[in-house]
Amino acid sequence: MMRSIVLAGLLVLAGAQLPAQGVMVAPHAVFIDHNQRSGSVLLYNPGTEPVDVTISMIFGYPITDSIGRIQLDTLTADSTNSALGWIGPRERQTVRLLARPPVGLADGEYWLRLRIAAQAGSVPITGVSDTTAIQVGLKLEVRTIIGVNYRKGAVMTGVALSNLRAQIVGDSVITRARIARRGNAAFIGVIRETLVDSTGAVRAQRIGDSLITSYQSPIGVYFTMEPRLASAIPAPGLPRGRYWLRYEVVAEREDLDPKVVLKAPAVRDSVQLVIP
Amino acid sequence: MKRTWWIVTLAMLLGVPLVAQGKPLTVTGIRDVTFGAVLPGVPRVVLRTDPANSGQFDIKGPKGNVLLSFVFPLSMTGPAGALMPLSFGAGDAGFSQTQAIGSQVGFDPKQPFTATLSNSGRGSVFLGATANPATNQRAGAYTATIILNVTVLP
Repeated sequence: MMRSIVLAGLLVLAGAQLPAQGVMVAPHAVFIDHNQRSGSVLLYNPGTEPVDVTISMIFGYPITDSIGRIQLDTLTADSTNSALGWIGPRERQTVRLLARPPVGLADGEYWLRLRIAAQAGSVPITGVSDTTAIQVGLKLEVRTIIGVNYRKGAVMTGVALSNLRAQIVGDSVITRARIARRGNAAFIGVIRETLVDSTGAVRAQRIGDSLITSYQSPIGVYFTMEPRLASAIPAPGLPRGRYWLRYEVVAEREDLDPKVVLKAPAVRDSVQLVIP
Repeated sequence: MKRTWWIVTLAMLLGVPLVAQGKPLTVTGIRDVTFGAVLPGVPRVVLRTDPANSGQFDIKGPKGNVLLSFVFPLSMTGPAGALMPLSFGAGDAGFSQTQAIGSQVGFDPKQPFTATLSNSGRGSVFLGATANPATNQRAGAYTATIILNVTVLP
């Protein structure tokens, strides 16, 4: 069973410095253990101008829509237990999180999204200074949304893979598959796709200007999703023939501490692609 | 959703150390959308490829995907509550892994877009817009706020 959790943050001042503009949020995902019941997020304004920061919490998790695009599904209205403050120049602040779960909370994982909204204190309106003219300016506000996962007791995860399909569209390999989570915690890992030809040789794929042997996409499976992935085939494309697209979902993440990535068996499937 | 059984507490004095569970994420507003002089009755279009006037957000974070979505105002507010319509077309947003304005992948800013940061964890979002002043648009300063949501997945 999974539920959202409500955490509250408090800003505690400390000192720091760096020239730039914007607010740094670290880490980009928070995992809180029930035994500790607390976590922290560092906010840092490296600029010289104050930035107005608002912190709020929402409940949500990634889903895919009918065409496989990933979206954040916020099932409920915002729960704005917000802490409001100004991050002064060359200052940093730490948001400390403490959970007070109910007695008898079932083992499992509980989720929350922390939303950090930052807006520069004042943005000059651009345009001519003539008071008879029309002057226009647009302020920019950035909201960084990171996940908070609270784990109690024995948590386990895994995925089941089905309905894998693939097609080549232009210079891209497009895949979709149904990925259903198992266990009582979100599956956090990567999808890895490898294209092999009829001889078993791996065919390169492309990211930007780089050639890769496997295309990888991070994934978080909270319930069931069918993500659409598109990987590029290097020019001049694939010659006619039969190919296999190997598709695997593994519990590995380069961007997270391995301690917080729950172990789970990898799942694999493959699908044939024919280029006439 | 049953939430009432949660107790919310501020942990001001707890000495909880920051744990390196993930990497820092920084989203920086580099440049506003700049319309310059706007004439009554004459729409002013700023393309996302305009190096001087398009909006730009820089992202630096962990290698991987982030979900981008915008919240747009319908209009800008000016003197005495006067309004000026503002519009965003389906190709008014662009993403660049190399953070180069000349190598963007365009996307519809009204739809969520999953962006893949570069191997070094960088990317830039560019934004264009159209201001639509009326023929009898009141003179003065108009402003509005554009919100960019950057969601780390998962």
